[in-house]
Amino acid sequence: MIYLDSAATTFQKPPSVRAAMQQALTAMSSPGRGSYPAAAKAAEVAFACRSELAELFHLDNPEQVVFTMNATHALNIAIKSLVPKGGRVVISGYEHNAVTRPLTSLEAECIVAAAPLFRPEAVVEAFSACITPGIDAVICNHVSNVFGFIQPVEAIAALCRERGVPFIIDASQSAGILPLDMRALGAAFIAMPGHKGLYGPQGTGVLLCAEGQETKPLLEGGTGSYSVQQEMPDFLPDRLEAGTHNMPGISGLLAGVRYVRQRGVGTIFRRERELAFTMSKELHKSDGVQVFSLPDMRAQAGVLSVIPKGKDVESFGAELEKHGIAVRAGIHCAPLAHRSAGTLETGTLRFSFSDFNTPEEVWHTLRVLKRRLP
Amino acid sequence: MDNYLLLARSVTYAQRMHKVLDRAGIRCQIFRAPRTLTDMGCAYAVYVAGEDLTAVMNVLHRSSLTPVKLFFNHQGTYQEVSYDLP
Repeated sequence: MIYLDSAATTFQKPPSVRAAMQQALTAMSSPGRGSYPAAAKAAEVAFACRSELAELFHLDNPEQVVFTMNATHALNIAIKSLVPKGGRVVISGYEHNAVTRPLTSLEAECIVAAAPLFRPEAVVEAFSACITPGIDAVICNHVSNVFGFIQPVEAIAALCRERGVPFIIDASQSAGILPLDMRALGAAFIAMPGHKGLYGPQGTGVLLCAEGQETKPLLEGGTGSYSVQQEMPDFLPDRLEAGTHNMPGISGLLAGVRYVRQRGVGTIFRRERELAFTMSKELHKSDGVQVFSLPDMRAQAGVLSVIPKGKDVESFGAELEKHGIAVRAGIHCAPLAHRSAGTLETGTLRFSFSDFNTPEEVWHTLRVLKRRLP
Repeated sequence: MDNYLLLARSVTYAQRMHKVLDRAGIRCQIFRAPRTLTDMGCAYAVYVAGEDLTAVMNVLHRSSLTPVKLFFNHQGTYQEVSYDLP
């Protein structure tokens, strides 16, 4: 199989991830539940994972690294910590349902900082116009999961700092691929999956919390700390980590993070972008397909959406599946992004790359694709 | 042997203390804290040798880390003590 759906989950993992997960199943119980070797080993691995993530994303304190089930879980905690029922929030036009559905459930007023694709300066202008007094939070993804558009989170963070509004960054498509400096950004929260660019297993996610940031638990329960007290502890990470930890997941995530740090975020980004650029350049030569990228792929990561002209994207995706090519077709859980780009009616066919894809895979996919284009 | 027990609010906090002490070359170990030492329930503690206390408290202070409580342990008998940095 040629796997080109890494924006959903990186399917090929470093071998160390599987080994780490197996080790967790045989040698680890739960952190914070005892001093016996299996609990101590689990605690050691969980702490090592927090520490490596803190270093990768420039946090001083590993306690500010909270393990979640996925980025959606992390975003829910972040949003529900900051946005009251009926609150006012500014979001980009490219947000995922992981952001818009919690906001809908909170009956929040969502002000969309609308801007065209691949125009970061227009995004900054739009946010600047929308961030007015009374805004409870600003939320923006770093990279659009549909179009790979790299949004200018540094400039938006500066606006938020200047205007005293908490900022939530959805780093679902950028963690492990683009640099993210929590300290420099001054964001309230950064949410990310463990199973995409960090090469951990499914069922892992991370919420980075600013020092001193107030948080609201989504779940209450056992934490292995302050057990007599019936309220959740007021300190992190325990406050947001009720229940038994996913140790095979955390152990695998640690191995994934170590892989990313060893390879280098910049190296991985360049590789993925080069593959996407090859595909974009070749498809731009065809009249039979609409390609969502600028010719130089400015402001875009290794995610590429296309619409084969006169074809249904789901059926086209299914045809590629028959040739052993795994892609994502449809709305990608991001109707707002499609509405912003004018593709809600059709959806798109999305190719997304990882560090494990090769140029040969891209050229093979292009051959299969071109034979089916009008 | 006499030692000190530094009570931590969580296992992660105990690990932070352990990490900075370890980096400073001070031997220490993390254990569950005796139930009688905390009215809050489950807790972890970092054990350090008696003669290392001054160095321990200095290293922790430099890293902005503070134990919830400090106990002197003499043959299994714990006594809460206070420590003022010089």
